[in-house]
Amino acid sequence: MSATSTSLEPLFSFLSDSYSTLETTFYKIPGSAVIARYVKSSHRNDPGRTVLEIILIIFAIRTLLQSRTRADNSGKHFIAFDEREIDELVDEWVPEPLAVPLSQREQTELDNMPIISGPTGPKPKLTNGKTVVNMASYNFTGLAGNEAIKESSIEALQKYGLGSCGPPGFYGTQDVHMKLEEDIADFLGTEAAIIYSQGFSTISSVIPAFCKRGDIIVADRGVNFAIQKGLQMSRSTIRWYDHNDMKSLELVLETIEKDRRKKKGPLTRRFIVSEGIFDHDGSMSDLPKLVELKHKYKYRLILDESVSFGSVGRTGRGLTELYNVPASQVDMLVGSLANGLTACGGFCAGTDVVVKHQRINGTSFVFSAAMPPLLSVAASDGISILRSTPSILSNLQDNVHAVRAILDKVDCMTVPSHPASPMIHVHVRLPSPTHLLPVASPNPSPHKHSNPTSPIPKDPEQFDEELEERILQEIVDEALAQGVMITRAKRLKGLELTKVRPAIRLAISAALSKKDCEKAANVVKAAFIKVVSKRR
Amino acid sequence: MFKKKSTPALNTAASYLSAVSEADARARAHGSTPSSTPALSLSSSVTSSSEDTVLHEHDEDNAHGLTYPKNPPTSEQIFTTVHTEFGHCANEQYRFTSQHSTDHPIASVLEQDPPYYILLTTYISYILVIAFGHLRDFLGKRFKRAAYRHLLDDNGYAALNSDFDSFYTRRLKLRIDDCFSAPVYGVPGRTIQLLDRYSPDYNKTMVLTGNRTRALNISSYNYLGFAQSTGACTDADVEGIKRYGVSSCGSRLEGGTLDLHVQAEALVARFMGMEDALISSMGFATNSTIIPALVGKGCLVISDELNHASIRVGVRMSGANVRMFKHNNMDSLEKLLREVISQGQPKTHRPWKKILIIVEGLYSMEGTIVKLPAILELKKKYKFYLFVDEAHSVGAMGPHGRGICDYYGINPRDVDVLMGTFTKSFGAAGGYIAGSKALIDRLRIAGYSGAYAEAVAPPVVTQILASMASIMGINSTVEKQVAAPSRSLLRSYDNAPAPIVEFEAYPGRAPATALPPWMPLPQSMCDCSDSQMRLRRLAFNARYLNRALRKLGFITYGHDDSPVVPLLLFNPGKMAVFSRLMRTRATPIVIVVVAYPATPLVTSRVRFCLSASHTKDDIDTVLEACDEIGDLLDLKQAVGERWPLKEIVARAVELVNMPEVA
Repeated sequence: MSATSTSLEPLFSFLSDSYSTLETTFYKIPGSAVIARYVKSSHRNDPGRTVLEIILIIFAIRTLLQSRTRADNSGKHFIAFDEREIDELVDEWVPEPLAVPLSQREQTELDNMPIISGPTGPKPKLTNGKTVVNMASYNFTGLAGNEAIKESSIEALQKYGLGSCGPPGFYGTQDVHMKLEEDIADFLGTEAAIIYSQGFSTISSVIPAFCKRGDIIVADRGVNFAIQKGLQMSRSTIRWYDHNDMKSLELVLETIEKDRRKKKGPLTRRFIVSEGIFDHDGSMSDLPKLVELKHKYKYRLILDESVSFGSVGRTGRGLTELYNVPASQVDMLVGSLANGLTACGGFCAGTDVVVKHQRINGTSFVFSAAMPPLLSVAASDGISILRSTPSILSNLQDNVHAVRAILDKVDCMTVPSHPASPMIHVHVRLPSPTHLLPVASPNPSPHKHSNPTSPIPKDPEQFDEELEERILQEIVDEALAQGVMITRAKRLKGLELTKVRPAIRLAISAALSKKDCEKAANVVKAAFIKVVSKRR
Repeated sequence: MFKKKSTPALNTAASYLSAVSEADARARAHGSTPSSTPALSLSSSVTSSSEDTVLHEHDEDNAHGLTYPKNPPTSEQIFTTVHTEFGHCANEQYRFTSQHSTDHPIASVLEQDPPYYILLTTYISYILVIAFGHLRDFLGKRFKRAAYRHLLDDNGYAALNSDFDSFYTRRLKLRIDDCFSAPVYGVPGRTIQLLDRYSPDYNKTMVLTGNRTRALNISSYNYLGFAQSTGACTDADVEGIKRYGVSSCGSRLEGGTLDLHVQAEALVARFMGMEDALISSMGFATNSTIIPALVGKGCLVISDELNHASIRVGVRMSGANVRMFKHNNMDSLEKLLREVISQGQPKTHRPWKKILIIVEGLYSMEGTIVKLPAILELKKKYKFYLFVDEAHSVGAMGPHGRGICDYYGINPRDVDVLMGTFTKSFGAAGGYIAGSKALIDRLRIAGYSGAYAEAVAPPVVTQILASMASIMGINSTVEKQVAAPSRSLLRSYDNAPAPIVEFEAYPGRAPATALPPWMPLPQSMCDCSDSQMRLRRLAFNARYLNRALRKLGFITYGHDDSPVVPLLLFNPGKMAVFSRLMRTRATPIVIVVVAYPATPLVTSRVRFCLSASHTKDDIDTVLEACDEIGDLLDLKQAVGERWPLKEIVARAVELVNMPEVA
């Protein structure tokens, strides 16, 4: 006993020594006496609390020390292997190829894709030497190749160089960017606007900038892919209403409202997301009704006008101008500068608060380089041309009417697009489609509504995707052979939330004459009839 | 960029100075309105008056010392660039080659920690501002409701930004908002013009005064100095706009493909040494819309913890699982690989369909360079696929400017996917993906951008073609044929080394046929003299600033050859002071300060981005400024040998050429 105590003697003395040094150094730190007094008195009053606090501190330290890249080996699913077994497993593992090679059909389609040689426009020349009528490219306003825009772009190039060489936050914001933002806000009549450097990445960044986990988004079932991606990124609770069906929307809003009243949860942000002209089929939203419902149920409206901006309305301001709804009624008005103004990029217009928020929280605004200054200048010029020349939009509408007058009467096609939309989708209608349709679902439930938690509607349209795509591609090829460039609406199969019916997408341009439009529409019509009747 | 001419226009320094005073008089006569000086296309016509070349900026005095070089050019030198855009530097000693030296193993750059009191004060200052912020929010919401309306529930609408989410922006960032998002005017080259602004209400709103200040620009991503308003690339762009306009109208798969796109993709593939490439109209979107086409459910992405936001967005969109490894730490990576391959997918333990490792060539916040050889070593054993994001390294690294593979002397085809952007080194916009033909063709169809996003605008493609060709050099010995661009251009280079085909092996020159026939090809672009000057100047500048800052005693991160140089400040308050002091010097300098959330909380930093357009004098100016401010702000905390500023400036060449710096 005494032997052990003597052998432990140096240890004890060391411990007490180090304790006293620790104590003296601790008291040397200014303010430490206050802490010591506090700890002592707290311990005296409530010893249990000291224990609790020590546990808390240990827990905090442990959490801090845990690395973010911590291995997941604490879970119950973890299997412990020794090194040799791991080596064997590594040797055995065979990964799939990084990319599946293209199928024969995909390869042919890619190789035969028309390539424009020289500038694009209403009648471009292709690399095969043929000059064609262009009903594929988005050049609604016919500004592509505009000489005034070219001139001011060259001027801008010689002032700013080409690239912006940095994100907007780090010296990438040029005066012309600010001017374009002002121009857009002024054109639409909103407080402010913000520009993004790619149209596609605009809405998919705007939505997650505002909508967070726990927020409610009510979206149209027919929204485009960029919106779908934005919804996915937002992680909000998403409810769907039937495509372009305001009754369905009201029903969904009502259900959510009832739910909320029942649960009495805290107020969450709520958004309605829709498109002006739908990219999927060219149909048009009923904006006044949307605005009415939004006000009634106190939602914010995110409207994607990527197609409708610069293509409808008296001067191309889009749906707000067409329906005479003040743009300030739309909380976040998103549009594309590439489609309507033939520049590049996209924008979001709204109140100052909305725009400022995106300058910090819009991922693809913050982390991406600013738009090349000369393209901002081109867009600004485009806006002033649209303002001063309303004839552009009236010409465009005339052309659209001329084309629709021909296409609407053809038996083997259906046109789901709105009559004013310069983007016209055409579906093929096969003479005897009945064999494609499955037998009517066993339990027809006409009174039940679509499930709002699923993007798939109650009774989705039935069609043979493969077959229709093949037919449409044949029609595209046939039209090209006849000197009209059109395109199938290209979509990522399997990634879109709903199955979208294959279509040919025509884009009418104000730069084409009415005669050319009629001629081209007749070529498309003839191609449809030819290809479909061949199958009969 | 400078040319020797037998009959120089500016014979002596005296004539140069008289030219300066003439220009000054001219400027006074014109007032401050930009006169109609015709654009200079000097590279194509050397005969243009070189007087105007030097004195392009006629509307300015030279009080800040940025408009004219400190030493007037000698009779031997004719510069074809505008000094404010691309500095005049004729000293061949101020050149270096960016190349990994095989004698030295890739050492981890030691990241020095600051003394404890710095860390302590950093935490205290954050606690202080956070406490004050909360106090102000608490009081403000009760007494100034109107000003807080957008943070409160209002009339049945929930607040658009919750006060918690926006706290950092409102209470911390706003205090130093004058250091961010400064609007600028003109070419973001060697110098840039700031639009002066002030805030009447503590940075809530900014008011432009209408004046401009020219400042030395050490912030823009302009590594090779292609941000220019004159020169070969601009001439090509002008010609391009005249021919093509500014838009290609639509997505690539829906009628938006021009011959220019096909040519650019072929050239990018050749530049990168890959079979094929595709280009996309936005750098950020290249990652965020292409990664989902590479991986999906059942796949694993292993990502460096400091990867860029675009990669994170892309991975999140893809639905693949993601794991992270410690920044550039190969042990952490290998450990993780062994774990994930042996464990398989979570819960089910099914083997992963594929594993994709995503790293960046050069990390833009750290200046670190990926340890590519070590990763390729691991790749042999663990069979993963490798995706290297070269947003910052392409053009900026390597003796031929081909990026990180070139720097290490690695065959680029050992990497599966090379991604990069055109914003930084090429002075353009957008991004590219290069890889095998099968892969790229799949991505053309399956990537989001092919079907949905607008194609790259023609002027941007022209800039890409011109700058890239000028880095590569052009093989114009063969008669320039008006070749119809076709997909046969995408043929890989190693297939047919037949004598007729003027293919050069990677990293060789571009054949003239790969470019549009209308593109002007001046001599300096064809023979690589221009691009070699750019690459070597950038390499010198990068190494000089990196090493000089360390010798001054600053804590910096990153590799010596990195053109991105982060200088650590730590205390958040010092960011604002540093930025303001730099901006208000006699020679104003604009810098980028970054803090949380772009960096860890304690390591707030200044980030310098070097460019080939900077001269040694410019770096000296920056060093002098840093030296003074560093003393003032107590920033020189690094251990190690220190040199005084004068010695550094005098021994710059020696410093750069040292193999290792202690």
